[in-house]
Amino acid sequence: MPIPILERWFVRRPSVDRPPEKDRSHIRVGIPRVLNMWSTHQFWIGFLKALGIQYIVFSSETSEEQYREFGKGRGTVDCCYPVKCMSGHYGELIFGQKKKIDILLSPMIYSLPSFLRGHVVDTVACPRVMAAPENIKSGFLKEGDVFAQQGITYVSPFVSLGQPYLVPKQLYQSLKDVLDLDEEETREAVKAGYEALERFNRKMRAQSRQILTWCAQENRPCIMVLARPYHMDSGIGHEIEVNVQTHGYPILWVQYFPIDDDLMDWLFGQEIRAGRIRSAFDISDVWTSSYSSNTNEILWGAKVAARCPWITCVIRLSSYECGMDQPTYTPTQKIVEATGTLYFKFGDLDATKPTGSIKIREETIVHYVEKYSHQIIRRKRALLPEPCPLL
Amino acid sequence: METVTHYTAYRPRPFRREEREKVTILFGGLTWKHERLVQGALHNLNYKAEPLPNVSRADLDVGKELIDVGACCPTIFTTGNLISFLKSKVQDHGRDYVVDRYAFLTAGACGPCRFGQYHESYTMALDGLGLRDFRLFLLDQNQLDQGAANGGGLEINLPFTAGIIWAILCGDLLTDLEYMTRPYEVHPGETERVLRDSVEYLYEVFRNRPIRGKKWRVLAWHLLSDYFTGALRRVKKMWETIEVDRLQPKPKVKITGEFWLQTHEGDGNYNIKRWLEQEGAEIIPPPIAVWLDYLLRSNIQKLEDKREVDKRAGRKVALVRTLQRVYRGTYNRLRRALGNLPYELPNQDELRRLAAPYFHNRLAGGEGDMLVGKALYAYHHKKAHMICELSPYSCMPNTMSIGAMANVLGQYPDLLYAPIEIKGDAEVHALSRCQMILTEAKKRVQQEFDEALAKTGLTIEAIRRYEERHPELRRATYRVPHRGYPGTATNYVIHIAERMGKM
Repeated sequence: MPIPILERWFVRRPSVDRPPEKDRSHIRVGIPRVLNMWSTHQFWIGFLKALGIQYIVFSSETSEEQYREFGKGRGTVDCCYPVKCMSGHYGELIFGQKKKIDILLSPMIYSLPSFLRGHVVDTVACPRVMAAPENIKSGFLKEGDVFAQQGITYVSPFVSLGQPYLVPKQLYQSLKDVLDLDEEETREAVKAGYEALERFNRKMRAQSRQILTWCAQENRPCIMVLARPYHMDSGIGHEIEVNVQTHGYPILWVQYFPIDDDLMDWLFGQEIRAGRIRSAFDISDVWTSSYSSNTNEILWGAKVAARCPWITCVIRLSSYECGMDQPTYTPTQKIVEATGTLYFKFGDLDATKPTGSIKIREETIVHYVEKYSHQIIRRKRALLPEPCPLL
Repeated sequence: METVTHYTAYRPRPFRREEREKVTILFGGLTWKHERLVQGALHNLNYKAEPLPNVSRADLDVGKELIDVGACCPTIFTTGNLISFLKSKVQDHGRDYVVDRYAFLTAGACGPCRFGQYHESYTMALDGLGLRDFRLFLLDQNQLDQGAANGGGLEINLPFTAGIIWAILCGDLLTDLEYMTRPYEVHPGETERVLRDSVEYLYEVFRNRPIRGKKWRVLAWHLLSDYFTGALRRVKKMWETIEVDRLQPKPKVKITGEFWLQTHEGDGNYNIKRWLEQEGAEIIPPPIAVWLDYLLRSNIQKLEDKREVDKRAGRKVALVRTLQRVYRGTYNRLRRALGNLPYELPNQDELRRLAAPYFHNRLAGGEGDMLVGKALYAYHHKKAHMICELSPYSCMPNTMSIGAMANVLGQYPDLLYAPIEIKGDAEVHALSRCQMILTEAKKRVQQEFDEALAKTGLTIEAIRRYEERHPELRRATYRVPHRGYPGTATNYVIHIAERMGKM
């Protein structure tokens, strides 16, 4: 008969009663739908749900009306629209909810859990994006604490999502008083958050693969969008890619491009074996300052688009005054165009959708894609080995 | 199978050891004083080295032509500056001569901000000029010993790095002396003359620096030797000859902002430091030493985050803290050699604490929390009447801390803060913004000066008579202790009153 060791005995007979599960089901958490929340929202949902929080409210997609109604007079400095519009999101969460939120959660995301991590120098967020909550909150504090006046707790954890081992401590320290957390449950919730994010990304990549496979089997072109995650917001990216899609060309976003081994080996294997790059995710051949996560992904996407035969066109979206995009304009274009892939850039996107000029550009894109795609597919296909894993 | 030539990033050709005697290393981005001393340190190691000419307004147009639209003005200015120089050399000596005989060394690898990507703009401009085989090397500001660059011609080792750091520290100290003396000089132009003599003298000191040992012995020698302190004591004697009149109430303006713009002296920031002096202000210049101290603090903060997951993090924190103490001790040792006249470095922990309610200390890029911290430090310690914060238009990190300052100003409405956005071609707009705040600062300094006279019962005539009996008071090297007022003239009145036994 095994003799129970002391440790096991303690496990079976706790000296004190376990504390009751904490009920957080009544807490309403509001999160601004901005910036890198667009690529990490599933982490936050998974994290909060694991803590028993049921009511998670995201602000609406960005719009000029939202800013006019909720953000006017709250701005503190002129800067790029994806950051500036945050005042409207904060305002909507504070003043625009039928049922008031208890907590406004606006994380300062320092680094991102990019699929390129380990292959690049770092996966840090844009300095403006990570610091945006500090800037925006001051507009709600400078003439009195609006959060307190509305009975809302404002919480803005600094979080390095690119370094998961740091995250439990960071979130525990910033949220322990607000959510009555203990370290163990924070660790478990962080784990649940990462699992949720991973599940979502896998699902999105699988859908992209289906699209790409369809294009390969039908020998039809598709279009890749090279942009930052928040350009998926209809108020920031102005749905340019959605309009192009209505002409029958499927859209792939770089953030969710399939990264399966067979496909990566097909696209990059020759260059790896020739010693030009270390892996399919190595971008040092085209971009040496690979610190910024979203920039890295855009540069990697440009490489993919240049190689993948059915991506015959790239649409580059960039917001006015984007300092992270600015040094990448020429390299990205040169990478894409090296194989004759079409490249169209919509730079200086701002609050107002320039409908007329976008319409003209869309027509141009569609014309060129229609006219040259089969030629581009044939040329790029000839550069790659057989067999193709998509066929 | 068909082939294709894919785009590749710029990679410099090797710079071989045997080329060292014929290749001139170009560098820039600091003040002429710092650059001359850095040149001395590089000449000492037998490098041919030459600072680029100071940035001019024309460089902005040259830069704009060759790099992607939307760059911040430091990127455009510095790119244009390099390209203008290379163009003129190509014109004089031909393309092949330039790519063979020159290489450019610049700082890089700072992380997410565009500062870490300047070299992308440089290489794009080199492409545009047809000089892709011109060599450009990056100096990682976070590493003291980076070994030999590709080809071994450039060795970024401890003698190299220590020389540059000590040159920067001495450049900072001289800059402090310059800006605290010139507004009060009795004979116009004397400060400039002595400053140039001091810089040339220190250039020789750096050029003749003895190199003791190879790695850590070199660092130990720099830390322990009295070679540099002895030289600075001699510099102090040179400054003793300048006569000053401190009975002129001038608002003290602390310059903060983005690294390049706050450091620069010239067209790149509309010559704003000189302009402020001409408008009657005394400038507190931003020492580069503070930035180096901040880099150490940033490393400590990163390590502190890892305490619970990395067993060695605690030991590393202790090590970097010791390094920081040694660094600050070295700066103070050099200051002492100049009679403690230059300003002391602000305590980084205090900057962090002051900024904490408004800006998180781990937010990286640009000056981080230092813009907020420095403004509050100057305000609480009564070091300056006004903060003039210079940031490039569209600067990514600094716009965020300027936004956070709105909250600071909400809580401290009497803090005079002039955030000046620099584009490079909008001088009147920038200077007029600064002028508005300066007018208020002038009122304040006059008020505090009049109050000090009233409080001490002294008159300007009485102080003049006292000065006649004590001529050492009118020397530039006489140290006026800080007596709780930002203004030099006010502290001087209080100090004289103390000396006369009136307080």
